[in-house]
Amino acid sequence: MKADWERRKQYWLFRWKDYGVGYLFMLPWIIGFCSFVAFPVGWSVFNSFHKITITADGFQYTWVGLDNYRHMLFENSAYPIILITYFQQMLIIIPLILIFAFFVALLLNQRFPGRGFMRMVFFLPVIFATGQVVIELFSQGAGELPFMEQYRVKELAERFFGGWVEDAVVNVLQQAIIILWYSGVQILIFIAGFQTIPKTLYEAIRVDGASPWESFWKITFPWMIPFIGLNAIYTIVDLFTFPFNPVLEIVSRNMFTATTGYGYASAMAWLYFLLILILILFALWFTYRASKKGGYAR
Amino acid sequence: MRLAETAKRLRLEAEDRLSSRTAQRVKRFVLGQNLNDGWLAKVIILAMLTVIAYLYLNPLLEMISTSLKSLSDLIDPVVGLIPREIDLHNYIDAWKGLRYPEAFANTLFLASIGSVFQVFSCAMTGYALARLNFPGKRLFLLLTIVTFLVPPQITIVPLYMIYHELGFLHTPFVIFIPALLGQGVRGALFVLIFRQFFLAQPKALEEAAKMDGASVFRLYFRIMLPLAGASCLVVFLFSFIWYWNMHYEATLFLSQGFTPLSIRLESLEMELIGNRALSFGEEGAKDPVSEGPRMAAAFLIILPPLIVYLIAQRWFTEGIERTGMVE
Repeated sequence: MKADWERRKQYWLFRWKDYGVGYLFMLPWIIGFCSFVAFPVGWSVFNSFHKITITADGFQYTWVGLDNYRHMLFENSAYPIILITYFQQMLIIIPLILIFAFFVALLLNQRFPGRGFMRMVFFLPVIFATGQVVIELFSQGAGELPFMEQYRVKELAERFFGGWVEDAVVNVLQQAIIILWYSGVQILIFIAGFQTIPKTLYEAIRVDGASPWESFWKITFPWMIPFIGLNAIYTIVDLFTFPFNPVLEIVSRNMFTATTGYGYASAMAWLYFLLILILILFALWFTYRASKKGGYAR
Repeated sequence: MRLAETAKRLRLEAEDRLSSRTAQRVKRFVLGQNLNDGWLAKVIILAMLTVIAYLYLNPLLEMISTSLKSLSDLIDPVVGLIPREIDLHNYIDAWKGLRYPEAFANTLFLASIGSVFQVFSCAMTGYALARLNFPGKRLFLLLTIVTFLVPPQITIVPLYMIYHELGFLHTPFVIFIPALLGQGVRGALFVLIFRQFFLAQPKALEEAAKMDGASVFRLYFRIMLPLAGASCLVVFLFSFIWYWNMHYEATLFLSQGFTPLSIRLESLEMELIGNRALSFGEEGAKDPVSEGPRMAAAFLIILPPLIVYLIAQRWFTEGIERTGMVE
């Protein structure tokens, strides 16, 4: 009996030594996760229910409950309006990036001379399209599509859409090129995705007498749906630090405003995150549904 | 007589057939067997891509052209993309305004040390998630992905408070410590790249090393990490570029004292007014006097990563394919 117990103990000791090495390798990440992700997220929730004042001996927390949120939503309604406007823009930006990236990837996936060079060109903006440089370029009016004024896109949008759609469309078009600069990684993911389609599928469908148009919609597109979903999520994440993301500036400005402070700024960030989460879940759900329907459960 | 006629007919037929075969060959050459491998298709694809690429890179070209224009060229609407004469004056202004050598050294220091730390920590985490065995591995993988999805807006406020308490604000530690702990810029993505690489390695390697009595650490540092050299390079390059361009975190955590290039661009005009008695218009306006130096400064900022990209271009494009997101 005792020997059995001893053996068990030895066994677990051995197993945990094994596990211990694993945890040791994970240790830096775990510390980092706790101190720079989990703890800040928790603190951020805590902050958003408090009013924080800075006194001589550190931060002073006063419990205000949902006051920050109520204030943000009902009393000072500027922020929700900005947020909604930005989300309307995002609903246009994301499909725009996805369609552009898909189209360019489709072209880049063909064989033609100078393919390597073209790939390089379309990835180039990833290298420099960030932050201040982009804002600087945009303030010089360099982000507009050159034919915007020529074809009176503004008037066209006005006639066809009207209301908020028009504003959002015009706004997006004014930043069109800079927005498309955020599609470099997506293009590469699509190209890599195309490589995973077995060539035999195309051969089979050609033998069956399908046209290239049909083979695109019957094979290429359904196969790529998971990649489209992946890219949608990547795009959403990439837009967190998009230089025209108004939330960035508002949150950091309210941090240092005496009347609002850290608590209010945290509440603002959470409202933003909740909307983002809805968007991400929607993208996941959509991908799941579509890929199930296409018959490629991956 | 009849024989001659038949022969003639046959010859004509053969000729006809031959010419139609050449025609077919030409047709195949131009249009191709499939939709996408003919000569015509290639020309169309190339033409389309060229047009898109031109539109795509137009802001960049405009930036370079503006930065090389003298003031009179900038004001003159006749002068298009190509300046009448190349004027390096803007670059001198920008160099002074950014205090380029110092800011360059700061940014280089931040980006290179930060990315080395990140390679180190992310490789370790990726290895653990791929090859080591411990309870809760799936949970950790899930949490890694979650860290990718949490917007920086959420954590920025508490992080500011944490760094403030620790006294890290406006020192390079705000970059180095998270990088060393696997939480730097897009750390989750890099962990996934390494995990994917280590997953693809043969199990026999580990078994052989274990047989020979090597510890896990020895195995990792002597065998696995050197094997992952290419992945390390990919991660290093991406990390370097993203740290170099880091702007949002930098505006909050590094806005004074130890400032990288991206912050200096904002204060460029102030610097220039101090340096030379230039009169600038309102902010954001298309002011020709400040436009040149600003574009020159922007170009000076993106030049180093651009050079890195041109040299190491292959690894960048391969890098994405290695992430394993594509599985």
